Amino acid sequence: MLPSLELRGISKRFGETQALSEVSLSILPGEIHALLGENGAGKSTLVSIAAGRLAADAGEILRNGSPVSFDRARDARDAGLALVPQHDLLIGAASVADNLAFLDPNAPFFESPAARRARVIRLAQRFALDLGDANARVDALPVGTRQRIEIAGALTGHPEVLILDEPTAVLSPDETAALFASLRKRADAGGAVVLITHRLAEVFAGADRLTLLARGRSVKTCRVSETTPEEIGGLLLAGAEGETREKEKDFDTHPSKHAARSAANQPLPSLELTGFAPHLASAVRTENVSLSLSPGELLVLLAIDGNGADTIARAIAGLERFSGRVEVGGVSLPPSGDPLAFRAAGGAFVPADRREEGLVASLSLEENLALPDPPGRVFLDRSAMRAHAGDLLASFGVRAASSTALAGSLSGGNQQKVVLARELSRSPRVLVAVHPTRGLDLASAAAVRRRILDVCRSGAAALVITADLDEAPLFGAPLRVVTRGRLSAPLQPTTPVETLGRLMAGLAA
Amino acid sequence: MTQESAARRFVVAAIALAAAAAALVGLTLLAGASPIDALHALAEGSVGSRAALGETLARATALVLTAIAASLAFRAGVLNIGLEGQFLAGAVAAAAVGPLLSGAPFVARAGLLVASALAGALWVLPAAYLEARRGVPEVLSTILLNLIAAAAVSGLVRGALQDPRGDYPQSRALPDAVRLAPLVSGSRATAAIVAAIALALLVTLVVEATPLGLKLRATGLAPAAARAIGLPGARLRLLAFSASGALAGLAGGLEVLAVTGRLYDPFSAGAGYTGIAAALLGGSHPLAAAASAMLFAALGAGSSAMQRDTGVPGALATIVPGVLVLTVLAARARLTQKRA
Repeated sequence: MLPSLELRGISKRFGETQALSEVSLSILPGEIHALLGENGAGKSTLVSIAAGRLAADAGEILRNGSPVSFDRARDARDAGLALVPQHDLLIGAASVADNLAFLDPNAPFFESPAARRARVIRLAQRFALDLGDANARVDALPVGTRQRIEIAGALTGHPEVLILDEPTAVLSPDETAALFASLRKRADAGGAVVLITHRLAEVFAGADRLTLLARGRSVKTCRVSETTPEEIGGLLLAGAEGETREKEKDFDTHPSKHAARSAANQPLPSLELTGFAPHLASAVRTENVSLSLSPGELLVLLAIDGNGADTIARAIAGLERFSGRVEVGGVSLPPSGDPLAFRAAGGAFVPADRREEGLVASLSLEENLALPDPPGRVFLDRSAMRAHAGDLLASFGVRAASSTALAGSLSGGNQQKVVLARELSRSPRVLVAVHPTRGLDLASAAAVRRRILDVCRSGAAALVITADLDEAPLFGAPLRVVTRGRLSAPLQPTTPVETLGRLMAGLAA
Repeated sequence: MTQESAARRFVVAAIALAAAAAALVGLTLLAGASPIDALHALAEGSVGSRAALGETLARATALVLTAIAASLAFRAGVLNIGLEGQFLAGAVAAAAVGPLLSGAPFVARAGLLVASALAGALWVLPAAYLEARRGVPEVLSTILLNLIAAAAVSGLVRGALQDPRGDYPQSRALPDAVRLAPLVSGSRATAAIVAAIALALLVTLVVEATPLGLKLRATGLAPAAARAIGLPGARLRLLAFSASGALAGLAGGLEVLAVTGRLYDPFSAGAGYTGIAAALLGGSHPLAAAASAMLFAALGAGSSAMQRDTGVPGALATIVPGVLVLTVLAARARLTQKRA
C-alpha cells in the first residue's frame, strides 16, 4: 500500500537552531497517525513543511508515491492536504461566516451573506463543533472558538490528508469525542489523518499508529496496539523528571489549607472581587462575581474557552474594562482597565495568547525577560540581562539556542515557558494565569504546576484558568466551573471528572 | 518597522542599490545621454569638489534630522508622516523668533533652535491627542497637519511675518551675526551637519542601548504584548512622537539658521517626506537612515550638475530615491516571506 503522504529525510534549520534532522514519516491511507514529542521536538515544523507552509532545507515529500513540491500552501491544498495550525490564521476583522467561506475551496466567488451563514450552521452540525455566532467578528472570539472554526474550515475541502496540530487542547471533552468520531469516519473512508497531541489518552483511544519525535529526530514509529502508554510516556519523559500525571501534592499540604492556617495572621485578602463583571460587548456576559483569595490560596477556574473565564482573567489584569470592584493587596484597581495599576499592586499575568500578548516575538529572549523594567541606569546592563535570562531559561528548561535567540524563533511550548518564567520570577502577590500549561509536554506541564504551587507557598494568591478537565484537579486546590459566564459553587479537587465534565458542558451535575 | 539582522539589512541594501543603478543607467539612455558621462557629472556635482561636497552636506543637514526623526517614531510604532509639517513649524518658529533675538550669537542661536524644536513637538500634539483620545490614525492626521502647515507658511510670509522692506512673500532675514558661517569658505556647509550627525549617534544610542529604547522598541514591535506586560504604551508613544516632532522642528530651524536665513513660500522641497524615504531605506535604524539621507542629499546636489552638463533631467534625483525605497520594501517583504 502506497503511503498517502511520505516525508523523507526532512531537515530544517532556524538560525542557530536545528529544528529537524533527517526526519522521515509515512502516513498510510485509512490511518490516524499521532505525532508525539516534547516541546520543541519539531512537530509543528514538520507538519508545516508537509503542508507547504514552510520550505525544508533538505528532504523530499511524496504524495501517493510521487514526489511533490509545494511553493505555497495553496499547492498543498490542491494536492489534497489540509493543515489546522496550532495558532489559527483566521482573518480577525472578518466574520465567522466570511472566514469559513474563504476556507472553502468550492465556495462560489459571489455568495450571499445568507448562504455564508447557512454554511456555518451546516458545518457546525456536520462536525458537531460550536462555531459561535456566524456574524461575530473573529477577533472578538476566544481562541477555542477560533480553533474550531479553523478545524471546520479545513474539513470543508474534503482533504485526503488532514493534519491537526494540537486540535484538542482547546476543545471540550464532548467536542473532542465528536472530533475523534469524525476523524475515524474519514479514516474508514480511506482518508489519512495526522494528529499532534500531548494527551496520551487520546492517542491510545483514537490513533492507529504513532511517531515520536525528540530534539528534531524521529525516535520511534509503531502501531499503537504494539506499545503502552507507560512506554511512550517513559520515552517522552526521558531525560526529564520521571513524573506522570499524578497529583503533585498530598491533600494535607495543599496550599488552600496552608492558607487557612495562616489566615488569622494575614487578614487582608490578596485578591478580592466584589460584584465584578467584565465589560465586553461581544463576549459572553459574565454575571457579577464576588470572590476573595487569601495569601497562599489557589483557585482553579475550569471552563471551555468562550465561557467567559478568560475575560474575567483579562479584566483583573487590567486588559478589559469592568464594573464592580477589584482589589489586589488592598489596592483598588481602576475599572477603566489599567495593566500598569495591576502590575504595580503586585499582579502577574499569563495570557492565553502568548504570541500576541505574552512576548515580543522579534526581540531576543533576554530582552523579553528584562521587560517591563530593563536593568541599567543610562545604558542597558546587557550582562545582567544575560545572566538573568540564563538563570530563568535553565530553571524553566527552555529549549533555545541562546539567550540572544529571538523569542519568535522558539516553539510554542517553549514560548509559553518563557512567559511563565518572566511572570513567576517577579515574586507576585497575585498570579492570574490563563491556560498556563497549554501546549506543554507532560514533564513541563507538571513542572509548571509545581512552580505555581511554589509561588503560592511563598505567599502569593493564584487564579488559574484551565480548559483541561484532567489537569484541573492536579493543582489540589478548590475548583469552580465557569459556564456561560456563571461560576459554580466551589468544588473539591476530588470531585469526579465525570461530574466536572457535565458541569463544563452546561449540564446539571 | 521591524528589527532586522545586519546581514539581512546588507542584502536588502545591495539589491536596492543595484536596482537604483539600473534605473539611473536606463533613464540616462532614455534621455539620449551616455550613462558614463551622466554618472561622472553626478559624482562631480555631489562630491567632486569642495563646493560640491559643501552643497551635499548643506542639503543633508535637514534630511539627516528628519530621517532620524522618522526612524525614532517608526521604532516606537508611531507612523509619523507629519515630519514635513513639523519641519515647517520649526522653520516658522525660527523665522518668527530669529529677528527678535539680540545678544551674543551663541545665545541667540540656542534660543532659536529651542523654539524650533518646541514648535515641531507642539505641531505633533493635535495628532497625538486625536490618536490617544479619539482613535484617529496618526497617519491621516499628520498628513492633514502637513497641509495646514504649508498653508500657514504661505499665509504668514504674506502677512504677519512678511519682511516690511519689500513685496516678496518672505520673512525678515536673520542678522548676519546670528546666521551660521560656512565651515570652509566657498561652501554652503556649516557646523549644523556636525550637530545632525551627532544627534543621529545620540538617537541610535538611546534606541538601541538604553532601557528607555528597549521599552520603545517593545511597544513598537508588539503593542498588545507591551500593554499586557505592563509597559506604559500611550506615554511611550507620546514621548517618541513628540521627540520625533522636535527633531523635525529642529531640522526646520537649522535650515533657516544655516541655509536660507529666512522663511519664504514654498519653503520646503519635501525634506519631511524624503526623511521618511531615508528611514524606510535604512530599516528605521537611525544611523542607517542618516546614511541614506546623505545619499539622497548627494543625489540632489549631483543631479543639478548632471542636468547642466548632460541634459539628463534633474528629476532623476527624485526618481532614484523612489526606486530605492520601492525595491527595499519589496526585497524586505520577499525575504520575510521566505523566512516565515
